[in-house]
Amino acid sequence: MSALVIAVPAKGRLQENAEGFFARAGLKLVKPRGTRDYRGAVAHVGGVEVAYLSAAEITQQLAQGAVHFGVTGEDLVREMIADADAKVVLLEGLGFGHANVVVAVPQAWIDVRSMADLDDVASAYHHKRERRMRVATKYINLTRGFFAAHGIVDYRIVESTGATEGAPAAGTAELIVDITTTGTTLAANALKVIEDGVILRSQANLVAARGAVWDDEALTTARLVLDRIAAAMRARTFREVRTRFAGCDDKLLAAAREKFGVATPFGGPTSSGMLTLLCPPERVHELAIFLREEGAETVMVASPEYVFARDNPLYEALVARLED
Amino acid sequence: MNQATLTPAARADTLVSAYERAGYARSSAAMLQPAEPFLDLSGEEIRRRMYLVTDSAGRELCLRPDLTIPVARDYLDSSAAGQPAKFCYLGPVFRDGESASGEFLQAGIESFGRADKAAADAETIALALEATAHYGLATPEIRLGDVALFAALIAALDLAPAWQRRLIKDFNRKTTLAHDLDRLAPGIGATVPEYQGVLAALANSDPVAAHALITDLLSIAGISTVGGRSVGEIADRFLEQAALGARTTLPRETRALIERFLAIASAPDKAATALRALAADANLSFGPALDLFENRNQILAACGIDLARIQFATAFGRGLDYYTGVVFELYDPAHRTAGQLVAGGRYDGLLTRLGCAEPVPAVGFAVWIERLAALGEAP
Repeated sequence: MSALVIAVPAKGRLQENAEGFFARAGLKLVKPRGTRDYRGAVAHVGGVEVAYLSAAEITQQLAQGAVHFGVTGEDLVREMIADADAKVVLLEGLGFGHANVVVAVPQAWIDVRSMADLDDVASAYHHKRERRMRVATKYINLTRGFFAAHGIVDYRIVESTGATEGAPAAGTAELIVDITTTGTTLAANALKVIEDGVILRSQANLVAARGAVWDDEALTTARLVLDRIAAAMRARTFREVRTRFAGCDDKLLAAAREKFGVATPFGGPTSSGMLTLLCPPERVHELAIFLREEGAETVMVASPEYVFARDNPLYEALVARLED
Repeated sequence: MNQATLTPAARADTLVSAYERAGYARSSAAMLQPAEPFLDLSGEEIRRRMYLVTDSAGRELCLRPDLTIPVARDYLDSSAAGQPAKFCYLGPVFRDGESASGEFLQAGIESFGRADKAAADAETIALALEATAHYGLATPEIRLGDVALFAALIAALDLAPAWQRRLIKDFNRKTTLAHDLDRLAPGIGATVPEYQGVLAALANSDPVAAHALITDLLSIAGISTVGGRSVGEIADRFLEQAALGARTTLPRETRALIERFLAIASAPDKAATALRALAADANLSFGPALDLFENRNQILAACGIDLARIQFATAFGRGLDYYTGVVFELYDPAHRTAGQLVAGGRYDGLLTRLGCAEPVPAVGFAVWIERLAALGEAP
């Protein structure tokens, strides 16, 4: 039995993206017993077991504490886990699996643009027909919470597990709550998103289970894994800028920090005048212009693979929440 | 017999036996109920507190979360449906999170079909007081409201239909109601509708022609009508918005009137006087709602209930939108238990919503047995 279990989506784009994410952190997921195996490991890192599961199963197992970490969508976490923040820790958004959970109504409802409009229409519908407007969705809890927050009570949820966007046309519901990425499927079904009807902007998250067995071994392994992830993630937010010139002094460094948000991981220039800066990617060119104006002959820019720092913010966030 | 030494179930049983002797037939509704009526009548909010199961045919069933709807359904299935009938009950109900086990005992009565509403209301309140008295609490705190009064006020005011619907709906959610009044004051919402120009142009046009125009525009735009609302309905509400746009502010005096109404909180007889004064000042009528209120007060007093002990408030509602008239809750004045001990009211729309062709007046209450039993144990 491994000390630390990480649950990863078992198929599709989510699996590819998740594997890519771990690979960038130097955590290559391998299946020693063949590609059809649903249990894997991490190359050259002992004590970690990888469980390949569906996103819904990952979410359930996180809630139960059957796995330590999992990659799953925030939409599923918020929908499937009652009191999610007590059960799991959303450590980091991973930048893929983006999807918005939205309230969508027929385009023909030209009189409905806001949730307040929907509230009024729902009340009138209930009053006139002696039955409530039906909302087709698989996001029962998210819908209930969002509608309650908008004071909407005159509705009924119709559970829908597939092709939800077809429900209004099929006559099984009046409106829907569903995920959308580009909105094209909604438009193709003659539906529109209500202006203030975005319930959640979801993406894949690295999630930790508060209820898992966090013994010393698990924590030690988690610290190692999270250190790599944090270093790789921090590396992606910077470019390494190197240069060497005589006019470089503390005043110039202060100006660079001020103007471009650069960090100086190794302090000022070395005795030989070498200077290493970390700069946000979008400011690199401006910084390069600035440095040359100040006298640099050559400015070299590279993408660091890792930026390890003394702190381990993901691990610290995890430990803080486990101790709550 | 010393009631306090009986088991909780036996002690509750003697209470319900007293209701039987008062002419209320003991009902034995099924534990397992179709979920639909509860969700339809109480709204989705109740879903998270219900124990739901799906049977092999795919029907959604639940462990009964209360007994009012099961008793009403049994009544509608019986030969007495539509006729005056009185029922009492005692048994477990099931709600997630309301007790450690999710199960607790409720007793109660339901009175269906009585046309003399004031008398039926007063009788119900008197029997509710018997429940606390049975557990040694002769003078509970009585909180009373009457949602029909608010409905009558809103109907009497010159408000757009959309705002009438909204205020009635939000009456049960006090924070939302205050928000509504704030929004009514400066105008309808902060956002300007996208179609403001069209709406303004339509505001003073002939309604029939405007309606035809909207219907045509929708079909020209090739917008297929999906969803359960007809083009006519959409056009109607679109034009209603046009009308609202033309008159977005609530007159200051109307808002002041609503606030004056909602501030009335006193013994019910004094409240009736205040309501009469308000009606006279504003030159409006509460119609039969206020007559019923005064009539009920008189009968309550005749039953020997000291009106001065009743905390009536016009703003008091029970947070459930199926109540249509009197609502009340009884509490322990010493606050040994936080929740209400007995709660109930009038819900004349309930039986129609359950499928009855004719409206049937209905009033009743539920008793939280464990809470009452715990009063004796508290130090």
